[in-house]
Amino acid sequence: MRRFFTTNFLIVAFVIAISSTPAQKPNGNAARSTPTSSPVKLALPLKDGSLRFAVIGDTGTGSSKQHEVAEMMARYRAAFPFEFVLMMGDNLYGGETPRDYEKKFSEPYKKLLDAKVKFYASLGNHDLALQVNYQNFNMDGKEYYRFKKGNAAFYALNSNYMEKKQVEWLQNELAKDTSEWKVCFFHHSPYSSARKHGSDTQLREVVEPIFVKYGVDVVLTGHDHVYERIKPQKGIYYFVSGAGGRLRSGDIRASALTDKAFDRDLHFILFEVTGDQMHFQTISRTGETVDAGVIVRDRN
Amino acid sequence: MKQRIEHSQNHYLRVAGICLFMTISSVAVAQQNATPSLAPPPVTSPAEKAAIQAFENQVKDYVKLRNKVRKHAPKLSKDSTPEQIHAYRTTLEESLRAARKGAKRGDLFMPEIAAYIRRTLKNEFKGKDRKDIRDIVFETELQGVVLRVNNPYAQSAELSEMPATLLAKLPQLPTEVRYRFVGTKLILVDRDSNAIIDFMPQALP
Repeated sequence: MRRFFTTNFLIVAFVIAISSTPAQKPNGNAARSTPTSSPVKLALPLKDGSLRFAVIGDTGTGSSKQHEVAEMMARYRAAFPFEFVLMMGDNLYGGETPRDYEKKFSEPYKKLLDAKVKFYASLGNHDLALQVNYQNFNMDGKEYYRFKKGNAAFYALNSNYMEKKQVEWLQNELAKDTSEWKVCFFHHSPYSSARKHGSDTQLREVVEPIFVKYGVDVVLTGHDHVYERIKPQKGIYYFVSGAGGRLRSGDIRASALTDKAFDRDLHFILFEVTGDQMHFQTISRTGETVDAGVIVRDRN
Repeated sequence: MKQRIEHSQNHYLRVAGICLFMTISSVAVAQQNATPSLAPPPVTSPAEKAAIQAFENQVKDYVKLRNKVRKHAPKLSKDSTPEQIHAYRTTLEESLRAARKGAKRGDLFMPEIAAYIRRTLKNEFKGKDRKDIRDIVFETELQGVVLRVNNPYAQSAELSEMPATLLAKLPQLPTEVRYRFVGTKLILVDRDSNAIIDFMPQALP
């Protein structure tokens, strides 16, 4: 009798044990499941003909959480077909072998790459210069470059090495730029309330006067692994978006600079430009909208 | 009547000349003030000029050698694959190492230029920006960074941001060569291969 119950107990325990094992994919990795199956909640106008893009920063970990952010981006893209993605640097952490490129970039963003979404990268302090030659970073072989989409011009800068010729290039290009919107993106943040790095005042001293003089509207940066929307500084909107793959939880020390901050999870940002308005929505890894709003360009 | 007209013409010419002079002066001042923090340091002594010239010549020689060696590396384009980038970088690194066998610390950072750089950087560290510059340079995490001339900078290590104001004060380099701080040391690295060309200790105060 005792043997009967013992044997059956073991059988039942065994059955419970094997049914709790995570599902295995053919390649042996545990299945990656998105954290939530909550519906996509778009807070953007989705107007015909608008310019749509996404922003991510400090992504290059290859972690499951980076994959989850990428998956959430793909889900949102189904509702909001953005055309391209801006990368704030630290695109690959810890090495740049061909396998690193796969693991930390082309595998996580495979769905977007397959959908022909273009990525435009800038260099972070974990990135080697030769990334400028990578076909899928679309850097045109340059550490700093410009491209135009619709009524907006985008300037990628290399804030690791802000030498005089880059500064002169930026001044010259902005001086002749008649685009309605001017957006600069690079790694180090002129304004940031994060504890680890914070505002890069040295960089600010050099670039801010140029941005103000030539009417830059929006500056996107990374480096601090948080999200922060800075209150407009001299008419310019700054966003810190450095938690696309790496997070420093609790790192924000909200200051007089902060309009909105989020440091509890990874995130990405969606932007939509319609005429004189630039709408944005910041979405967490789990699909929560952590910030949304609109920037209205002053026509004067 | 003729005298009055000539007098008027001279007057207008004088006014135009003054306006032109003022315009040129204000443009020159505006350009100078556009990024005053990026103005190069004044080089005052012939010895300093000679040190800088010698350093620039050494760097040019390095670049000549490097570009000669680079011809044998696989070609790279703006649309390269990771495999092509990797092949290029490793070939260049290995070729440069072989071509610079025997390279040692101080080959480029000779005593005179090292002293000039230390003095220049010490001047930049004065004043209210000192803390900001130190924060930028010294926040870089440097575990695993071993400095050996003619060997690569650790790929897994992060790179220090070069403060723009300091960059502007150092002797200017060609595109192929970069400065980088590793703690208080200043290193020269090859932009593409990431090989350490030379380094000097205690560059920063």
